[in-house]
Amino acid sequence: GAMAEGPLARTIRAKLAAALQPTHLEVLDESSRHGGPPGAESHFGVVVVSGRFEGLPPLQRHRLVHAALSAELAGPLHALAIVARTPQQWESDPSVPPRPPCLGGSKQ
Amino acid sequence: MSVVVRAAWRLGAAAVRGRAGRPLSQAATSGGEAEGGGGSGSREAVERLVREHPVVVFMKGSPEQPLCGFSNAVVQILRLHGVEDYRAHDVLQDPDLRQGIKNYSNWPTIPQVYLNGEFVGGCDILLQMHQNGDLVEELKKLGIRSALLDAEKDQDKK
Repeated sequence: GAMAEGPLARTIRAKLAAALQPTHLEVLDESSRHGGPPGAESHFGVVVVSGRFEGLPPLQRHRLVHAALSAELAGPLHALAIVARTPQQWESDPSVPPRPPCLGGSKQ
Repeated sequence: MSVVVRAAWRLGAAAVRGRAGRPLSQAATSGGEAEGGGGSGSREAVERLVREHPVVVFMKGSPEQPLCGFSNAVVQILRLHGVEDYRAHDVLQDPDLRQGIKNYSNWPTIPQVYLNGEFVGGCDILLQMHQNGDLVEELKKLGIRSALLDAEKDQDKK
């Protein structure tokens, strides 16, 4: 999108880069898809491609991502969609599954 | 099929009634406690819930009316596999449970899916398992035959 990256997005990017040394990293503010105004920075999607994920099942990969962002998840980050692949997996499949649509229900 | 759906709805309704029918003394626990003597978010209470049924989901809203896209995705995936008989807990109805389930699994978000009492992941992981065939296998281990297997069989016959 054309919007500049907000402060939380920059923090997420920096922490994931430091923790996982990704070869590819996307950090997307998806708050507007959940009823928030653009730039609300409450719901994020991340695509993390890292050799650190090698040999780890999805659950453990996601836990690594959570660990890097534990302070944010205890605070302003309400939801986090994660795609976590090794460089080989990303090379053979660089597609990201479509996000579930927001149902416009509770804002909690 | 309608009988199964009605049965699932009754189970869902019973889960809600059960929570609503708790004595006030149990309901009035302070939020945020990881341990605690018997509150709905205590380790013991959560343990009982995840072991109640082979398939247990902690979500926002209910299977009949999910209140979050990610929770709805979990419901839809289970439905695709013909899994309508499962326990669903609406964490929006119970702040103690909402925090307690996150403490229990050490997982910061909702929805959370438990198969045979074991935490499997959230919506992203369930979607992956659905796409790569792992979910059919995991359901088979629980004695649940995925509807997708029958759908394939029907197609082969044609």
